Amino acid sequence: MGSGGMGPGPLSSYPPEKIVEAELSWISSVVLFYSTIYVVLKIDVLWAAFGIAALSLYVLPIVSMRDPFRALPWEMTILVSLPLLLHISAGSDAMNESVAWWDDLTSLAFAFSLATLGFLLTVELQMYTEVRMNRPFAVFFVVMFTLAVSGFWQIGEYVSDVVFATRNQASNGSAMGTLLWSLVGGVLMGFVYAAYIRAMSEERRRALGFMHLWEVRDWKKG
Amino acid sequence: MRLASRAMQAAMVAVLVGGLATRNFTWVPAAVLSMFISALPIVLKRNLRLVLPVELNFWIVLALFLHVVGGFSGFYDEVPGWDHITHMMSASLIAALGFVVVVTMDKYVESIRLPRAFLAFFIVMFTMAIGVMWELMEFANDQLAGSRLQYSLDDSMIDLLFDAFGGLVVAAVGAHYLTHTTVDRFVESLQVDTAKERISEIVRRRRD
Repeated sequence: MGSGGMGPGPLSSYPPEKIVEAELSWISSVVLFYSTIYVVLKIDVLWAAFGIAALSLYVLPIVSMRDPFRALPWEMTILVSLPLLLHISAGSDAMNESVAWWDDLTSLAFAFSLATLGFLLTVELQMYTEVRMNRPFAVFFVVMFTLAVSGFWQIGEYVSDVVFATRNQASNGSAMGTLLWSLVGGVLMGFVYAAYIRAMSEERRRALGFMHLWEVRDWKKG
Repeated sequence: MRLASRAMQAAMVAVLVGGLATRNFTWVPAAVLSMFISALPIVLKRNLRLVLPVELNFWIVLALFLHVVGGFSGFYDEVPGWDHITHMMSASLIAALGFVVVVTMDKYVESIRLPRAFLAFFIVMFTMAIGVMWELMEFANDQLAGSRLQYSLDDSMIDLLFDAFGGLVVAAVGAHYLTHTTVDRFVESLQVDTAKERISEIVRRRRD
């Protein structure tokens, strides 16, 4: 969309720093991909759904534009995959037992990831559907999305604990702690993304297909 | 429906009077606040000519009524699941008010367009987010003031479950409603236009 005619040329036509950026993003997405396969094989339903949703949002622009350089910015890809990595890593488990605030940290990483997915959703909804949002609404959506998904997540963990006798939730306090971090992380990231998109250079926005984002100048309600 | 609304408001006044007479003050602040809130649609209509759908008015009063009168009668402790019923009522209420606001925004804000499917999705997300914030508020209240609003993990999780259910129902009803009427006609029936004129008139008068 937008730029037109800038299909995947020979690799040499891209400036090296752009290639490095894209490579970072691809590597992160491969990590996300294998983590998702891991949780799917373990039949870890919630995290499998998370991974599949995140991967779909990642792959959609690449596939629809047929341009691997339309990959999500690497910093966002890392933010998205971090909580999943923390979830499956044994090191994180060990930290959880020895460090008191480790749980808060993973909760915050989870909130950042959800907010990033919410942000991506606002971008891709504008790319592929009739939905149009302005900046305040998009920020509001990111915050609401983070809180709501976190709430549904807690319900999911609870239902799984009751039905399949898993042990996800330690206590009411810990569940509320996770939700509290979602509120903090969601609000924080809502404003971070508003600033982020303002700070991003126009060239990079165009390259990533973020051109349609929030600032819809050539669009009239009809 | 209007008669039922008035009766329920009268019951809230009764809680206020009864609470004062028997010196049982726990539910008096809630009763006073609820009376004000339940009077809001009437104030909106008189001063701004903004007309909320009758069903919505009824729902507002009913939710407040169940909370206040049920609370005064001790239903929160005695009737199993009372907490969850009032939760679902207030969640669906929040969802309905959110629906009205978002639909109005869709019509009046130039840079926003929200198709029906997205609207339903957003209402579910919005209701759930408010539900989570509500639980956090209860939790904070318990921690700071030592109250016992959340009994247990089961209690708060089932609250959230009912919030989700309330949001889903309203989103489905709202989406269905918009297949029968257009956004334009719905907003027109709220008389937002006249309310807008009223507000700008009031603002202008203040300024002069």
